[in-house]
This record gives sequence, C-alpha cells and structure tokens, in this order.
Amino acid sequence: MAETENITILGIETSCDETSAAVLVNGKDLKSHIISSQIETHRKYGGVVPEIASREHCLHIKDVVEQALVQAEVDFSDLSAIAVTYGPGLVGSLLVGLAAAKAMAYAAGIPLLGINHLEGHVYANFLEHPDLQFPILSLLVSGGHTNLILFKGHLDYEVLGKTRDDAAGEAFDKVARALGLGYPGGPYIQKAAASGDAKAFNLPRVMLEPQSLDFSFSGLKTAVLNILNTAKMKGENVAKNDLAASFQEAVVDVLVAKTKKALQRLPQVKTLALAGGVAANSLLRDTLAEELKNCGIRLVYPSIELCTDNGAMIAMAGYYHYLNKNYASWKLNAVPGLNL
Amino acid sequence: MKYLTIDTTTKVTALSLAQDGHLVGEGFLHTGTTHSEKLIPMLDQLLNAASWKLEELDFIGVVRGPGSFTGIRIGIATAQGLAQVLKKPLIGLTSLDALAWAGWGRPEETVVILDARKGEWYYARYRYLQTMVCVDGPMAITPEELMAKLKQKKEQFFLVGDAVKGAKQYLEEKLGTQAVIPLEHHYLPRGAYAACEAWAQWLKVKDDPDLADKAVLPFYIRLSEAEVNYRKKHNQQETGSC
Repeated sequence: MAETENITILGIETSCDETSAAVLVNGKDLKSHIISSQIETHRKYGGVVPEIASREHCLHIKDVVEQALVQAEVDFSDLSAIAVTYGPGLVGSLLVGLAAAKAMAYAAGIPLLGINHLEGHVYANFLEHPDLQFPILSLLVSGGHTNLILFKGHLDYEVLGKTRDDAAGEAFDKVARALGLGYPGGPYIQKAAASGDAKAFNLPRVMLEPQSLDFSFSGLKTAVLNILNTAKMKGENVAKNDLAASFQEAVVDVLVAKTKKALQRLPQVKTLALAGGVAANSLLRDTLAEELKNCGIRLVYPSIELCTDNGAMIAMAGYYHYLNKNYASWKLNAVPGLNL
Repeated sequence: MKYLTIDTTTKVTALSLAQDGHLVGEGFLHTGTTHSEKLIPMLDQLLNAASWKLEELDFIGVVRGPGSFTGIRIGIATAQGLAQVLKKPLIGLTSLDALAWAGWGRPEETVVILDARKGEWYYARYRYLQTMVCVDGPMAITPEELMAKLKQKKEQFFLVGDAVKGAKQYLEEKLGTQAVIPLEHHYLPRGAYAACEAWAQWLKVKDDPDLADKAVLPFYIRLSEAEVNYRKKHNQQETGSC
C-alpha cells in the first residue's frame, strides 16, 4: 500500500541552454538528475544563441528523459505527473520541453504541471533543506531576473522588489564580455576578482528611492564600460582583475543592502533563501552569511549544481503543484516573458 | 497496421490516423493560434471521435522539415514523446515528400514550394511514375532562380505548398499557362498526404531490426543564422591571412 502512495514527479527544464530532467519521489527523494549543458556549444558565439539552443534541446530531450528514468529505475507508468517549465525563457527552447512533456503526460495518462522557472529556482532550496519554515524571504538572482520575494507558504508568494533594467546576472555577462573574460560571465568574473582589488575602482551602488526594494544595474554596467572605453581611447591598460573585483563587490553590496532592508521590514521572517545562477557567487554567499550572522536569520542556498537551471527544481515545485491539483491544460503554451 | 502522423512544419497543424496506407481520420487546423496550443487537444479529439486508443498504434510518422524551425521541433518533440511512452517506432518524413502526394497521377511534374522566409522557398520537384519520384531538390531557392529553372523546361507544373498562397499572382505572372494551381485546401499540408508518405516510408523500413532505436532528426536544410555568420567571419579571416 505504502508504495502505491508514492508521488513520483518527472521534472523537465529547457528554458535556456540546459536540457535537464529529474525524477523526484514524495517531494524529497531525488532519484535522478540529468543535465545536458550546451555551454560549450554557445561559447564561441559569446553567449546563448536562441536558435542553436532550441536545436540542441530537440536533439537531446529524448535521451535526457530516458536517462533520468533509467537512473531512477522507474518507467512512465510509475510517474504521478510530469512537471515542465513553460516560462520565462527562450520561446523556442521552452517549446521543445513543453511539447515533449505534454506528449509524454498525455500518452502516459497522467497530469501535466506547468511550472514557472523562477518559482523552480526558489524551490531548489527545498531539495536540500526540506525543513525550511515559512515565512521565507527569497533573493532570486539570475541572468534574467533579480527579485526579492516573500513566501508565506507553499506557492503563496508576493514579489517585493524587482530589477527595473538589467538583471544582476545579465550585468555579470555583459561586463565579462567587455572585459574579454568569456561566457558565462558569473564564474569568470568571480575568478578574475579573486586576484583583484575591490577598492581599486569607485563604482556606483544604485539604491533608488529610500523605501524601494527594486534594483537597477544598468548604471553600474555602463560605469564599467565607460572606464574601459576611456582607457582604450587614451591607450591605457585597465587592471581587469581589479575592475572585475570592484564590479562584483558593487553588485553584491546592492543585493545585500536591499535584502537587509527587506528583512528589517519583515521581522516575522527568519529564513533567507538565495536562488538563481548568481546564488552560486561566493562573495554574495559569504557577505550575506557575515551580515546575517548575528541577526537570527537562517541563510540557505542550493548547491552550485542546483543554482543553475535544472530539472530537479522543476520537479520540486511540481510536487507542490501536484498536491494542490494545479494541473495544466493540454493547451498550455510557452510564455517567454512569464512573471512571478 | 495503425498509425498516426503529425505535421506542424507550416502554419497548418495537420494530423492523420491511418491504417495500412488508408486514411481513417484527419485533423486540419489553419488558425492563428500556435501548434503548442492545438496539437494535443486536436489529437485527443481525433482519437476519441475515431474510437482509437493511442496504445493501438503500431508506429508514428512525423514530418521533420523543412519548414518553420520551431514547428519542426514541436512536431518531433511531440511525436518522440508519444513514441517514447508507447514504446513504438517513430519514422520521419519530409514536408516536401509528403506534399508531393498532392500530385499523384498527374501528367505535369509537381513542384512543392514552402515558405522559407528571407526571400526564399524550400523546394523539390517530383514526377509521377506509378509513385512520386523526386527529380530535383530538396533545396532552399529564391523565387527568381526557381522561375528561371521552370521557364527553361517549357512544360506545365502542378504547384503546391504553403508558399503558393502568397505567391499565386507571382507564379501566374511568371509562368503563365505553365502554372497549374489547385485549390488552397489541396496545396496546403494535409494529414492525408503525410499518411500516404508515412506508409511508403514504413514499407521501406519496417523490417529494420534497429528501427525502434532510430532517432528522427530535424531536417532544417538551413543552418542557423549565427552559424552562417560565424562561418562567414571565420572564412574571411582565413582568406585575409593567406
């Protein structure tokens, strides 16, 4: 009897440049997790090329799902539902995963769960920290988004702040490209910054209105580009590692200041959950840990592998949608600009 | 042998249920909504109305291009997903070969043209010789080049494909009496045409012991724009250094 009550979710994620699938049992037991990354394919173009990403997903989706099932030792008939990212992301990429997931769920006679990719990032935290207590403040920082979100309960949340221009991860990518450091920008900036002086350049920390929890990173990005352009015109060399370190610290300062402001406003919140690709940044992790050390706030973040796009987090969010019977229609379409 | 075909390579969503090369049911939607929204609901309705179960299918045929890049992928990902769960073989067909069946039995050669954007068409030409035999293409070609090709032959052509819709006047102007253009619902992709082509392909591959493991690859004809630009840039640099 106990075995038949297992809730087994297949999670599928193809919103950008990772084709990923995972099998999660009862919202806690990650049986398999396959990620086929396209980073090497896109590297020579200096960033993700949407059409190439879509083509790669189409070539790999079948095998990625197959491997996830084999590794988990389950078949389609063991699945309770299939959870799939339907936005935000690159529309062509999203559509590959969505079409595959719909067809599989339909043929297997099980529900389809449409998952917001951003929700997935936050839920990555529950994979490794199943004991998290609500309310939770989440700082979601990725290539496309920068959000402060208050989670009052499962799938019950409110967006407190968002970026008004560039996302933090986007600024990392653009600055890395300008510095000639490579793609994806985050890890390269971090590496260069490790041997740089963060005080070498005085870069702006844009805090917007005093009450605002919104973010703005385009001014910071422009300041870095101006330094590089000015040096180029004068024929001077810029200490790239110093600039990378200064830039990274400016981003982290803003993220930390806004997060602290949100926490001060929400005394009931005792947990901060970092999420998204930039949550892999060690300066951000360490600074937050240091700042929150004596505040009685528990800081959690996913392991590096679960910070980037992955199917496990989609299965995790899918588990709660399944419990709530939030089944998607077969008409579900990809929504590239989906918000929280 | 019961089978399903899926074609989402143009703006038409076309499905068929067929048995041993005979059309049993057909779905055709030429609406403004996306394949993603239409495909599974339409399949579900078709199966229900025909009282067919997915499990009864012996194989699935999918049109793998050329055509809309996104459409190609939706078709393949869907057909692949169904086949994966049902554990049934999947076979791929080209959109041009499928549409060629519109010209079955005709004395003229059948010219299939599909919208390839960027001022080009995907094109192939077929002759009816008890079956449809491809005599030119498949390729991406500009309308001007194709017209020059056809004018030279001084014979009539039966013109089909979604590109006919927007180019009807142009084709009639350029080809005059050489152009034979059927009604729109005859020249657009149809489940019926894919059902014919899928059966022809099935008869060729059915005894292949590795059939179940064969992947169906998209047939784009064109590289992505980024790849084209990259190659251009790369070649230019190589030329420059010589």
